[in-house]
Amino acid sequence: MEPANTDPIVNLEEMTIGYVPESVLLEGINLSVMPGELVALVGRNGTGKSTLLRSIMGLLPVMEGECRLFGASVRTYDLRRRARMVSYVSSQVPAMPSITVRELVSLGRMPHTGWTGRQNREDRDMVRKAVRELSIEHFLDRKVDQLSDGECHRAMIARAFSQDTPLMVLDEPTAFLDIPNKYELIRILSRLRDGGKSIIFSTHDLETAWLWADKFWVIHRGEIREGAPEDLGMRGVFDDLFADSGITFDRSERRFVPYFAPRGTVRLTGKGGAVMNWTRTALDRLGFKTDQDTGDPAIRITSQGEGYCWQVIRHQTEKTFDSIYSLARFLIQVE
Amino acid sequence: MKFHSRSVLILVLLVLLLVFLFLLNIRLGSVRITFSEMLDHLTGSHLLTDEQLIILKKIRFPRLVTAMLAGAALPVCGLQMQTLFRNPLAGPYVLGISSGASFGAAVVVLSAGASGMVASWGLALSSWMGAGLVMILLLFVSMRIKDVMTILILGIMFSSGLNAIISIMQYFSDASALKSFVIWSMGSLGNVTGSQLLMISVAVIPVLAGTLFYPKMLNGLVLGEEYALSMGIRIKRSRIIIFATTSILAGTVTAFCGPIGFIGIAVPHITRYLLNRADHRILLPATMIIGMVIMVISDIVSRLPGTDRILPINAVTSLIGIPVVIWLVILNRKSQAF
Repeated sequence: MEPANTDPIVNLEEMTIGYVPESVLLEGINLSVMPGELVALVGRNGTGKSTLLRSIMGLLPVMEGECRLFGASVRTYDLRRRARMVSYVSSQVPAMPSITVRELVSLGRMPHTGWTGRQNREDRDMVRKAVRELSIEHFLDRKVDQLSDGECHRAMIARAFSQDTPLMVLDEPTAFLDIPNKYELIRILSRLRDGGKSIIFSTHDLETAWLWADKFWVIHRGEIREGAPEDLGMRGVFDDLFADSGITFDRSERRFVPYFAPRGTVRLTGKGGAVMNWTRTALDRLGFKTDQDTGDPAIRITSQGEGYCWQVIRHQTEKTFDSIYSLARFLIQVE
Repeated sequence: MKFHSRSVLILVLLVLLLVFLFLLNIRLGSVRITFSEMLDHLTGSHLLTDEQLIILKKIRFPRLVTAMLAGAALPVCGLQMQTLFRNPLAGPYVLGISSGASFGAAVVVLSAGASGMVASWGLALSSWMGAGLVMILLLFVSMRIKDVMTILILGIMFSSGLNAIISIMQYFSDASALKSFVIWSMGSLGNVTGSQLLMISVAVIPVLAGTLFYPKMLNGLVLGEEYALSMGIRIKRSRIIIFATTSILAGTVTAFCGPIGFIGIAVPHITRYLLNRADHRILLPATMIIGMVIMVISDIVSRLPGTDRILPINAVTSLIGIPVVIWLVILNRKSQAF
């Protein structure tokens, strides 16, 4: 193994961050990023995720302690040299003049070109590579303000990629994306990681990040912990992360589940298989426990032609429903 | 960001148009001087009369060159302000430069109360000093304040404050001084004398040429100051450069010609629309050329060919420019300049 690969790319030592000395957001931060690591930074809104990322970038002054990039303090970096080491995508999509995606991605070459900004073959190759890596070929000539959120995030990351830095810092790259786009984006990040980049990104999508991130940084109750997501899960770091908002961490399913107020137990019988599972999901959501033998009301699932029907027996009266929706409406109303 | 041959072609056509307009403009006027007479004079085969020469040298040429300098300078200021503040409504005067110049002019015109002062050096210098004062204030503020939007708000506040003081001065001045000031504030290209033109050229031309050396910095600011910083652009230094050049360009033009509205805001939009580009390497020179073309046309229109009356230039630039921008914005969806 090369010795370079054992030295951390980012090393935070007893770092304090915040905007003004009177309001410190986090202190005593000790974290590191190794080469080729994908690090997910998670925490509630307002806990200092963006501030931490911007401090690592050198966009905000480090208030105390030390932030070392590639062994040297971030304070000592010349701007242009730093711009060749770290690239950044902020969480806000800037309002942009009518600039095309191609022009946007080319902007990333700025720290590498001379004073005229003229690009040589190497610059153009890197822009092409960024376009390929982020698969944005088909909307290169569109204006940035005509892109969907997913396309826009990818274009902004392509700009950072073309900056050709060993470290990329991305603030909420999955914000405002639909589920397929979220997965797609994190998958792209993991591919860039496999290509040798180190990436730190903040996110609220723990379950997506879990699939690909090497390491989590979790901010909770004014502290920040690091480790493989499984380490943190084992230590119970996630258990009370969202506790005050009625969401608990289900260790066996490795996901966050909301807490449903219990409404009682119903007796569920009848046809098994998928229809039974879906019915149970709906009852879970409504706060009903299910049992085969006891419970009130009693629900029985039967086949009816192509579909199903749900018979509910309650106080000796029987009602039949042709969908889970109408069944659910009834159960809520009788409560 | 490669240069497209289409952009270059458009620029060449615009330069040809500018040459044509230059010749048209210099020929136009109540005293007839044809091109062949001018050519004959240059070759020495047949000299122009003294009267014709004076008209060309002292009247037509200075006003035409003044028009071109103002036409190049104000849109460049507008472009820089729009890029720095990332606001399509920003123009050369958002920072209060014209209010500073107006204040300087008001001090001379309203307190001296002499209408004969209008074309004088005193007026121009006082106005220049007013603009310079605002510039110093701005540079001082921009060193201290982090957020560029705060500077924009402060600029607007300076501007409003100075305008309020000017209103008070107008309220207490006599009718003839008031009329002189109102006429000054309508803008005029014709009051510039030969030596004043030299002064304007010395102030404006090197600064305009200088702006052509930092398109990369402006390109870096397109995504906002935070991204610019992350790409290695020195934010404070670029602010100072942009404020200083804008103040010198807009301040000088306003001091000698009065405030000339509209083209500073509109020309950058027209340029972006025509070229469909966001690269300042092409936007900067293109903005200058298009600004000159529009200003020379405005000058021709303001002189109402065939009559001996002259319209205020400020009104003309707006009247011929506004339909262009309305057309760009409303009838043409492609022109989403911002």
